[in-house]
Amino acid sequence: MNESGSNPVPVSPEDLALYAMQALPAEEMAAVAAALRDNPQAQQELARIQGDLALLALSADQQSAPAGSFERLQARMRADGPAAAKEFATSAAASSPMEMIEATEAPRCEIAPLPRRSKWATITPWAIAACLAIACSILGYRVASLNDALDGESALVSNLAAKASHAQQVLEVLNSPDAQRVTLSATKIPPAPTAHTVYLADRGALVMEANNLKPVPTGKTYELWVIPASGAAPVPAGTFTPNSEGYASVVLPKLPSGVPAKAFGITIENAGGSNTPTAPIILSGE
Amino acid sequence: MALLTRLGQHDEKAMEDIFRRYSGPVYSVALRVLHDTGQAEDVLQEVFLQLWRNPDAFVQNRGSLGAWLVVVARNRSIDLLRRRKPSDSVEDVVLASPVNVASEAERNIMMEKVRRVIADLPAEQRKNLELAYFEGLSHSEIALRTGDPLGTVKTRIRQALIALRKAFEA
Repeated sequence: MNESGSNPVPVSPEDLALYAMQALPAEEMAAVAAALRDNPQAQQELARIQGDLALLALSADQQSAPAGSFERLQARMRADGPAAAKEFATSAAASSPMEMIEATEAPRCEIAPLPRRSKWATITPWAIAACLAIACSILGYRVASLNDALDGESALVSNLAAKASHAQQVLEVLNSPDAQRVTLSATKIPPAPTAHTVYLADRGALVMEANNLKPVPTGKTYELWVIPASGAAPVPAGTFTPNSEGYASVVLPKLPSGVPAKAFGITIENAGGSNTPTAPIILSGE
Repeated sequence: MALLTRLGQHDEKAMEDIFRRYSGPVYSVALRVLHDTGQAEDVLQEVFLQLWRNPDAFVQNRGSLGAWLVVVARNRSIDLLRRRKPSDSVEDVVLASPVNVASEAERNIMMEKVRRVIADLPAEQRKNLELAYFEGLSHSEIALRTGDPLGTVKTRIRQALIALRKAFEA
């Protein structure tokens, strides 16, 4: 028996399943809702069926929520504010199907209609205004989001189009039968000037050969130097000028004997030679 | 502090945690019903916004939050599909379900099991169940479409749900 002392109206499990899925016509939905009101056993079974349906919902192929969806939700949450939350709670409770069904039945005497209408008459215009304001801000936000997304997509498309155009031009150049094809390699580099000396300190005998020397300006000459190991001043070992092929030699110049050499050097001096070398040293070797 | 308690205090971080945890299943069921990503996101937003506005609508002894959210999302999607006003309030959705879909790993295991059970159903049962649940057809519309008697449609849907329940009670 139910709270009112009468036996509850039985509801078939089949109808409960369809009721849970909202798969009954409106009048049958209302009949099941009414039967459920005083039937705890049927309410319990309905809750179990809803649990089964939750499982069924999970059979859908799983997708991630769209990118930015939480940020959009957050904007709506902030646009709402606590007042809207309170208002929603009131209106949601008032629009439940149970109450909608009750509204179609005869008015119950314990409800005092006048104050209720008065309250709604006061609240409704404000609620409508608040909803419109929220809807406007949500639409504004969505338009802004869509514009941002569109801008991003446009930039991406432009970028891709530019890359595709560039790739097309490359292909046209490579495939054109009129294209002039030339293989390039490193240009000829003039060989570096070198000199080789053979020196016998005991005898003061020296032979030098140089190659690839540049011509010296008029009034100038190359001069070879022996740099003594003792640290004494460089000893001039003869002047010379290269031939047209850059070749030159100094053979047995007049040199003191017994002067061990630390190094050899070649400078450019005034024609006739010098007693002291003039920087820079063109070639040197130790 | 529990997420729902924090949600009751309008803690945005709590809302974000809940959203990250359950938005996938909620969006998926909406997309399954509506086949439209824009409308599915509208449902997603609406369901979570309702939770934000009125967290008391969900009471923990009614079942798991995730299960509750997917059922509410499915119902809202059907409402949208039928272009009708919400046919129930979120407070009216009461679940008795041991299903815990908070953990993604558990959820994946559960999904696989559900899919297996549904795939193993007799073809007519499966078809009737899916027409009712995911396409939002009434039993008379299903009967009209399939040519089966109303009683048969009701029985098939009921049997399919029993098979699903038994698989998870075992």
